[in-house]
Amino acid sequence: MYLFHTEADRRAMLDAIGAASMEEILRQQIPADARFQRPLELPPAVSEMQLQRDVTRAAAENASTASHVCFMGAGAYDHFVPAAVDAIASRGEFYTSYTPYQAEVSQGNLQAMFEYETLITQLTGLDVSNASLYDGGTAAVEAVIMALSVGKGRRRVVTSATVHPEYRQILETYLHALDCELVIAPLDESATAENLLPLIDDDTACVLVQHPNFFGHLEDVRTISDKAHEAGALVVQVFDPISMGLLKRPGDLGVDIAVAEGQCLGNPLAFGGPYLGVMACRQDLVRRLPGRIAGQTVDRRGNRCWVLTLQTREQHIRREKATSNICSNQTLLALRATVYLSLLGPQGLLETAQHCHQKTAYARQQLAGIERLELPFEGPVFKEFVVRDRERDVIGLNRTLREQGILMGVPLERWYPELEDCFLVAVTEQRTRADIDALAGALSNAPTQGVTAGA
Amino acid sequence: MRNTQSTRLLFELSQPGRRAALLPPLDEQITAAAEPLPETQAADGPPPLPELAEGDVIRHFTNLSTLNMSVDTHFYPLGSCTMKYNPKRNERLAALPGLADVHPLQDDDSVQGLLRLLYELQQMLAEISGLPAVSLQPAAGAHGELTALMVAHAYYAQRGEDRRVVLTADSAHGTNPASAAMAGFETRAVKSSPEGLIDVEDLRSKLDDQVAVFMLTNPNTLGLFDHQICEITQAVHDAGALVYLDGANMNAIMGLSRPGDFGADMMHYNPHKTFSGPHGGGGPGAGPICVRDFLEPFLPAPTIARDADQDHYRLEYDRPESIGRVRTFFGNTGVLLRAYFYIRSYGGDGLRQVSEDAVLGANYLLSKVKHILDVPHGDRCMHEFVASASKLKKEQGISAMDLAKRILDYGFHAPTVYFPLVVDEAVMIEPTETESKETLDAFAEALFRVTGESGDLVHEAPHSTPISRPNDVAAARKPIMKWTPKDS
Repeated sequence: MYLFHTEADRRAMLDAIGAASMEEILRQQIPADARFQRPLELPPAVSEMQLQRDVTRAAAENASTASHVCFMGAGAYDHFVPAAVDAIASRGEFYTSYTPYQAEVSQGNLQAMFEYETLITQLTGLDVSNASLYDGGTAAVEAVIMALSVGKGRRRVVTSATVHPEYRQILETYLHALDCELVIAPLDESATAENLLPLIDDDTACVLVQHPNFFGHLEDVRTISDKAHEAGALVVQVFDPISMGLLKRPGDLGVDIAVAEGQCLGNPLAFGGPYLGVMACRQDLVRRLPGRIAGQTVDRRGNRCWVLTLQTREQHIRREKATSNICSNQTLLALRATVYLSLLGPQGLLETAQHCHQKTAYARQQLAGIERLELPFEGPVFKEFVVRDRERDVIGLNRTLREQGILMGVPLERWYPELEDCFLVAVTEQRTRADIDALAGALSNAPTQGVTAGA
Repeated sequence: MRNTQSTRLLFELSQPGRRAALLPPLDEQITAAAEPLPETQAADGPPPLPELAEGDVIRHFTNLSTLNMSVDTHFYPLGSCTMKYNPKRNERLAALPGLADVHPLQDDDSVQGLLRLLYELQQMLAEISGLPAVSLQPAAGAHGELTALMVAHAYYAQRGEDRRVVLTADSAHGTNPASAAMAGFETRAVKSSPEGLIDVEDLRSKLDDQVAVFMLTNPNTLGLFDHQICEITQAVHDAGALVYLDGANMNAIMGLSRPGDFGADMMHYNPHKTFSGPHGGGGPGAGPICVRDFLEPFLPAPTIARDADQDHYRLEYDRPESIGRVRTFFGNTGVLLRAYFYIRSYGGDGLRQVSEDAVLGANYLLSKVKHILDVPHGDRCMHEFVASASKLKKEQGISAMDLAKRILDYGFHAPTVYFPLVVDEAVMIEPTETESKETLDAFAEALFRVTGESGDLVHEAPHSTPISRPNDVAAARKPIMKWTPKDS
């Protein structure tokens, strides 16, 4: 397969070692009571041809954005990925390289990481960025943990039901281990986070808000951050990198730490991962930032160059006192984001955001006119909105539309019992007017449950 | 020959008005539907990103790529990191639209092919580890450690036992104590014996009813398989604690020994090491965990379940005793699929051959290196070994760092140095199974030549790389973490 040694090589190597056989070495190394005595029961080895046939068949069983028109979002989006992103990321010198601890032979990665960090500070309006974390949800949690370590002794984290429910679930898991209190403002009719304001108190280390929020709505981050800062708490904002083409940046709204899911920046949907955790913060928090950081310096000849820096925060130096246990990161996905943002530039990002915003408005208008549907929440949105099915058959609708080649949205019942008859529709720049009209058409023509049951 | 212009920073290449990506014009009816964003929310303009042509971007990053070493171009004898060949077929297959372009929240009926592959991967990982219950969710090895420790926490909470201590070996990866701290445990280190194995007496003296988990790496970071492993795990179990295996070195024992059989209760894999997922310059990885049956209820949600009678796969979210969710969506599917392709390509016997060849290569290189450097922990090893430059430093003033830097000039990546902490001037070497005998010979020859070179030459090494000996101290003292315009 991918092995090198011929039988003659193996013989010669054993001779050099001074071992009669491989078995001799193994017997010497692995005690008899720990030795596995039978062959592994795994599917037999297959050739590249056979593997490709099998996997292609399995892949063909899945619906995808290649076979269907996608209106699904909820934290993972079908944005366009330019070919140049794939061309760069598929260079072996990038994707088969190691973590750039040896700076002399890693300047390509290190410079790209430094450029990524700069782009993220430009995107967020904050001072510093790390070189990436696992994904949006764990980045949000790492930000909260940072805030807890800043607010020594404060044990309360305040958030809102309008933050991505899976991010809140991860937070619950982690905070349980750290013995902290998580307070969640419930969903109200405005579908915004204003009702978290009274929950902020002197014990609050951190307020976590998402803007645009999980339902696509805009939050009043400025008011939330003013109130939080008055109480001595930090503000963490989950933001949408694409929305930065149109919306005020976290750094312009008084936010202390901004985090995001960076999948939307040139990374494939890939059934949930690997994704890209984006994190930026104020300068004074830099030594509490988790994850790797590339920094600028000079070499012994005086040339500008880049290295991994502030490593004393990290687990391989600080062990149990590290800011986080994170070791690997998502460099390759950060590279893709760097290429993506370089290709878009300010004008490209602005236009992408405009497409999302305007097409979402158009979709909202079209769907509002369909009798069976209702839009439960008012107010401005960016690229997502909630739709209610008066027939209370989201699952049936979903199936019907999928059969017509449309992934209509994300059912909300799993996380919001009060929205069991609702789904979340996302509209990216990739959707055309014809796509949206087809969605509206399919939704208005879908058989109602009564008809289905009677058929 | 080298193009230095395009390796200036993106921001220095930027020209106002230059563009790469163009979007189609917006339809009038669409524009008519939209209301402007509220003034309090709207930015004055887009962020100040660089402005470049597509050709700028491609030339820039292509030239940057040539400044990296990589597995495709160089040998990485990088102990502990397992830099093996990354098969090209895995890249092609993972990019199939039916795998790469699938939304994570699609309903189960629309992802049956994908769920089947992942379910089969769970079974394969269980068979290789000897531990039956699998979660594919964790995003990296360290994340797997954290997840498993949370599982242990939930297990003891359910039993009404208040165990707050995690023991780690002093030779362990830094992630072990860091993960334990994040999971809310207090950590205590267990000493290594003079042979580089776990000091069983020290372990026994630290085992009490406060200990929840003992985290160990076997084969350990010195490349040694602990010959008392079964006794060790028995002692841990006798104290009512669980054994966690850091699976970083699973590439050495596939088909030869199984953690579940030698007493581990929980473990993680590093598919980006063991199963050849590319390192990507530092990530992405994945960190699937395997645990014993009695810990299964606590695994994070969702897991993949199969309804046998209908041959139907589904994501199981209803897990009342679960620790909860540890990441967004399902898992690092792209990395996991590459592991699946790798295992399918080799089969069971092939994986055993992989491990045997990894062990053979390491022992072969050890047989050569021991004539060049001290190797304090014996003549034989598993998949890696740790030499020491201590004597070389004393006698010739050449440190492990000097050695690492100078070897770059010979066209090899440096070995891991100064880890594990239990060896002075450690030089940790792992050849993997995907390097030829000729490459290993050439590396040993280069190492030999370096040890005979003058101190001055070596101290200033590397000489042939784009940069040499960056000033790390200055970088950390006054961190410059982003580009800023000159006139600001």
